[in-house]
Amino acid sequence: MAKTTKSKKQINLTFEGTGYTLEFTRKAIEQMERSGFIVSEVADKPMTNLPTLFAGAFIANHKWVKKDAINKIFDSLKDKQGLIGKLVEMYNEPIEALFNESEEGEENLTEWGASW
Amino acid sequence: MGSELVESPASHVSYTEQFREAFPFYLSIGMTYKQFWEEDCTLPRYYRQAFEIKQERLNQQAWLQGMYTYEALCDVSPVLNAFAKKGAKPHPFPEKPYSLRKKETTITEEEKLINERNEQLKAKVWMNNLIYKFKNPVP
Repeated sequence: MAKTTKSKKQINLTFEGTGYTLEFTRKAIEQMERSGFIVSEVADKPMTNLPTLFAGAFIANHKWVKKDAINKIFDSLKDKQGLIGKLVEMYNEPIEALFNESEEGEENLTEWGASW
Repeated sequence: MGSELVESPASHVSYTEQFREAFPFYLSIGMTYKQFWEEDCTLPRYYRQAFEIKQERLNQQAWLQGMYTYEALCDVSPVLNAFAKKGAKPHPFPEKPYSLRKKETTITEEEKLINERNEQLKAKVWMNNLIYKFKNPVP
């Protein structure tokens, strides 16, 4: 009966003395999809889609931050490759929370390995 | 062979569509519009768990209700029997509801004293019988 509690995923950053908490809500995702964003295209066209995905993470808590300011923050960030993974993971969280986690645990899952 | 892997492109189902599909269910278990769309995105997980607990509780209550009904039928059955003897009486329905707490099922101090006294009396009777048999042996 005991189930593990998971807290929501957020990215925290400070830019020019201002703190930002980035996260996705279902409303934010709806808004992004309405304006044409498709998450599966992030891997194919990261240069175009990553800034959009990053900007979308501002909708929930910092709706009024201007696009230029967001772009400035984006340009200043280190490790953009790592950022893609985290943003996509965060973007998927609102949908993952709607599905039941496996009751049987991880022992029934198939293991896999890579050669490199 | 294997054409299904190349010919049919996966149809894109947007997240929004899936949110909208799930939304009525979460409304029905007590989430508000704001909680579902704008607040902590992990909330549905906890609402679902709370819903499961509520369902289990309802199930237990229904089971308990069934138990009382069953017991009432069993108690009254001697009277309902067409071939029952004249003057048959129903068994009395339990005076107290079933105890749902472990505490109540344990023996109280008073009951313990009564049990002890009964045991002492039984031992006394047994001893008296033995003495009587010893004094008056059967020929």
